[in-house]
Amino acid sequence: MRGQALKGYLFISPWLIGFALLVAAPFIASIYLSFTHYDIISPAEWVGGSNYKRLFTEDPLFWKSLVVTLKYALVAVPVGTVLGVGMALLLNLDVRGIRFYRTAFYLPSIVPMVASCAVFSWVLNPHIGLMNSILRGIGVEGPAWLTSEPWAFYSLVMMSLWSVGGSMIIYLAGLKDVPASLYEAAVVDGANAWQRTVHITLPMLTPVIFFNLVMGTINAFQYFAQAYIMTEGGPEDSTTFYALYLFQRSWRYLDMGYASAMAWILFVIIMLITALLFKTHKKWVHYGR
Amino acid sequence: MDGERRRKLKKAATAAGACILAAFLFGWFLESPEPRKYPEREPVVFWHMWTTEWKVIVDDICTRFNESQDVYEVIPLSLPKGVADSKFLLAAAGGEPPDCMAEWHQVVPQFANSKLILPLDEIMTAEELATFRSQAYPIAQKISAFNGRPYCMPLALDVRACYYRLDHLHQAGLIPASAPARVATQAEFEELRAVLPQTLEELTEWGRKLNVFDSKGRLVRLGFIPQWFRMFASVFGGGFYDWENNELLISTPENLQALTFLAEQQKAIGFDRMERFLSSLTTSHGADWPFATGKRSVSIDGQWKVQQLHKFAPDIPYMTTPIPPPKSGGKKMAGWVHGNFMTFPKGAKNTAGAWAFTLFWTGQDNPERASEFYTRAGWLPPSPAIAETRRYRAYVREHPQFQTFIDILASPNIESTPPVPFQLQLYDLIKRADESAMRGSLTPEQALRKLNDEVDEILNRRKEFGHEN
Amino acid sequence: MKTKSPLSLTRRQKWAAHVVLVVLCIPFLMPIVWMVATSLKSNEDIFPQENQAAITFNISSMLPKDPQWQNYKAALQTGPFHLYLRNSLLLCTLNVIGAVFSSALAAYGFARLRFPGKEGLFILLIATMALPRHVTMIPVFTIFKMLGWYGTLLPLIVPAFFGNPFFIFLLRQFFQTIPADLAEAGTIDGAGEFRIFSQIMLPLAKPALITCALFQFLATWNDFFGPLLYINDPAKYTVAYGLQQFMGSHGTAWAQLMAVATLFTLPIVILFFCAQKVFIQGISTTGATR
Repeated sequence: MRGQALKGYLFISPWLIGFALLVAAPFIASIYLSFTHYDIISPAEWVGGSNYKRLFTEDPLFWKSLVVTLKYALVAVPVGTVLGVGMALLLNLDVRGIRFYRTAFYLPSIVPMVASCAVFSWVLNPHIGLMNSILRGIGVEGPAWLTSEPWAFYSLVMMSLWSVGGSMIIYLAGLKDVPASLYEAAVVDGANAWQRTVHITLPMLTPVIFFNLVMGTINAFQYFAQAYIMTEGGPEDSTTFYALYLFQRSWRYLDMGYASAMAWILFVIIMLITALLFKTHKKWVHYGR
Repeated sequence: MDGERRRKLKKAATAAGACILAAFLFGWFLESPEPRKYPEREPVVFWHMWTTEWKVIVDDICTRFNESQDVYEVIPLSLPKGVADSKFLLAAAGGEPPDCMAEWHQVVPQFANSKLILPLDEIMTAEELATFRSQAYPIAQKISAFNGRPYCMPLALDVRACYYRLDHLHQAGLIPASAPARVATQAEFEELRAVLPQTLEELTEWGRKLNVFDSKGRLVRLGFIPQWFRMFASVFGGGFYDWENNELLISTPENLQALTFLAEQQKAIGFDRMERFLSSLTTSHGADWPFATGKRSVSIDGQWKVQQLHKFAPDIPYMTTPIPPPKSGGKKMAGWVHGNFMTFPKGAKNTAGAWAFTLFWTGQDNPERASEFYTRAGWLPPSPAIAETRRYRAYVREHPQFQTFIDILASPNIESTPPVPFQLQLYDLIKRADESAMRGSLTPEQALRKLNDEVDEILNRRKEFGHEN
Repeated sequence: MKTKSPLSLTRRQKWAAHVVLVVLCIPFLMPIVWMVATSLKSNEDIFPQENQAAITFNISSMLPKDPQWQNYKAALQTGPFHLYLRNSLLLCTLNVIGAVFSSALAAYGFARLRFPGKEGLFILLIATMALPRHVTMIPVFTIFKMLGWYGTLLPLIVPAFFGNPFFIFLLRQFFQTIPADLAEAGTIDGAGEFRIFSQIMLPLAKPALITCALFQFLATWNDFFGPLLYINDPAKYTVAYGLQQFMGSHGTAWAQLMAVATLFTLPIVILFFCAQKVFIQGISTTGATR
């Protein structure tokens, strides 16, 4: 038994060493900084809990950005999961040219962000953009996507769904790991395609779905890059995501102590949700043993 | 068994291929080219944010400086603007700042307050400082100031003025048929100046007449819309800073008047309609500038458009003037001006070299030499000494429209963003108040009151931490 | 192995699948078609010049009338792209090797071995992803500086060899689904833990490993901030930095940006297209071993 423990530590040692060397100290430092006033250049001054107090009591943008982010997580994570699984199932079919289809669905998530943001500023353009010119074809005048409420928010959600290919690939890899023998047995039992999907494929895929849910949540709460480029948080802060506000506070206004406090509040929120997911996971995730 | 062997062979081949690729890449990596042309000289590390055609000009200034002397070698590095500040701050915090960095974000007071950058009086000689104080345009000194000391050397200034499409004005019959159809000479420039609107009210009235809508009420051409609170505050005689008492001014009657005027204009045309039209223009670069494509008749824009129009759309007849003041209470030749400037981080290895380079660029010692850079790039100089050189005068004769911007540059009524240590935040807050008022989600009074409260809150928090301002 | 797979579809079902796939493809591909088309247009051609407020959709205006191949040439002349490519490939290769191998090791430890504190350490692993990196950037930078790695490529390579929490979590999920009897078979044979890991587990998790490799390649390929932060010599920057250069301060050079973006995306497309072969293999090897 002790031998196995040693082996266990040996196997995870690369990560352990990396953690001790590069992650632990910055984490502890940022906890400390969250109790200081720190402008990055001058030495940090201890201010006790005043950053936290101010965040909770005097900063309306803190609450607003938190609500925007929660809303985003609530929309983007479930929709992204359903879409990702659905597409992976479809792309796992045995039809000619499937490699082409897979590449097509995966493409959006590999286009560099600079380019995809530029492309979408055209797609979503109210007068000459693709979206509204198609809507116009069916007689509807679409909104000014990126500059009006609430459309700016949904435009960003749409953009992130456009690049759902990344998680689709993970599901696809998961599908490829489902042993063919299980299907063979099911066919012998006379199960049809739908039954096979519900009773074999989806249960076998739950470890990957669980993974994507956890990672999707973590990423959704830290989402900001597209909002930073496309809307800069506007119109009227309706797309000021938590991490975008945090970025502004830290690197734009040089209020790093305050931003560290924000980061730790976010950390606690993410960990609570993750813990909740892990709590439920024994009920629905099957590890095939 | 045969298959097994083949598989093993294949594996070996793949491994060998990978090793060769790795070796190849590594060898390639090691023979990295030596970027320094003068390895024996003292390096001057210079970071900036210019890209594309501007980067070419900046690189050229560096080359010229390197050729002009044999002590220093300037090594320029272009940083993407979105992350330039982060890199700069991290490098400075880590004790490895560049020797100088060209900036145009609203950061000087903030950096000065954190003692990240050096005051110029510690870099310049007393004589150079005196020259700067007596010669540089007042606005250049305002941009550079924090707590009464200069903290950056303005390289070039960005001034905005009204651009008019003369063909549109003629079509609409707004200027006499006898007025010149296009401007080629100084005289034609003067003649047209006299017939263009003298008050803001008159200009907005013209704008209404120049608007063109399609059958569904969408804007096809925009006559004129006054925009940007930060720009119009001083046009209405307001502004955000009292330079004599070093105090922020937010909720003043003049500022309220300016914001109210802007909101009314916006309302008249409809915010949504406006936004759709503006966002449809997609780019403002070169020939795609909506003014150049005929989608706008009167537009407020910077001096760089003069050169771009010359380059990309030479046939467009246009004219420029300062923003006209309102009928009562306003100021002439007012507005918001910004620019780009050189900063000198504390703890840099070669500040002396950085200063020599900056001096070479801005031509405080030799305006004639610097005038070449300024005319080539179409930059507005930080000092009239360059504007008065023979070469620059010739440039203005060639581009008569440039005179407008030089006139504005000397005006005492232009303003920069107030030199408070939270300048960027203030700038963002002013923009936000502006947006709320334009969208009508807040009345101008409410927006201004909210802005005032937000600024008070920042000031209070700063006092809590023991800062004076 | 060419027996009829239990997953094979009838002719009719295949047709239905094609229709669904093609329809779904359109929204995903349309913006990319525009990207490539724009890269071949002249600047006047990109946006409608006529005096009209709004346009209705038509496909012909989207395509370039007269392909401007020189956009590509002009775009590539703005910087030393051959150097950028070399640097990108170097970083990508090392990062992929380092991250995939070390992550697989750690993931195996978390998934299949028992040791005290495992649960706690795994929570810690997840936690390291939950703190926004904006607030840890300064200390991390300071550490690299203290190690004397500022100005070298080491901060961009070495961390990969410490495993990536995202991959560790992902691979752990995969390793856990592999039935225990497979691994036990190895133990009875007297194989060491490392041999079980490398000869039984790794081949079984091939699709997941390829996914990780692809993700790491993409992440390193796209990263311009890392190189920018730690390196000051433009000759050591990557393709992603070259791409950033097209975002001008006074507007975007559309055609050139799209040209570089197209070139930039191409290697990943090829890589992905090839990597799929392993995906296909995944199913047959799993089937064969059982």
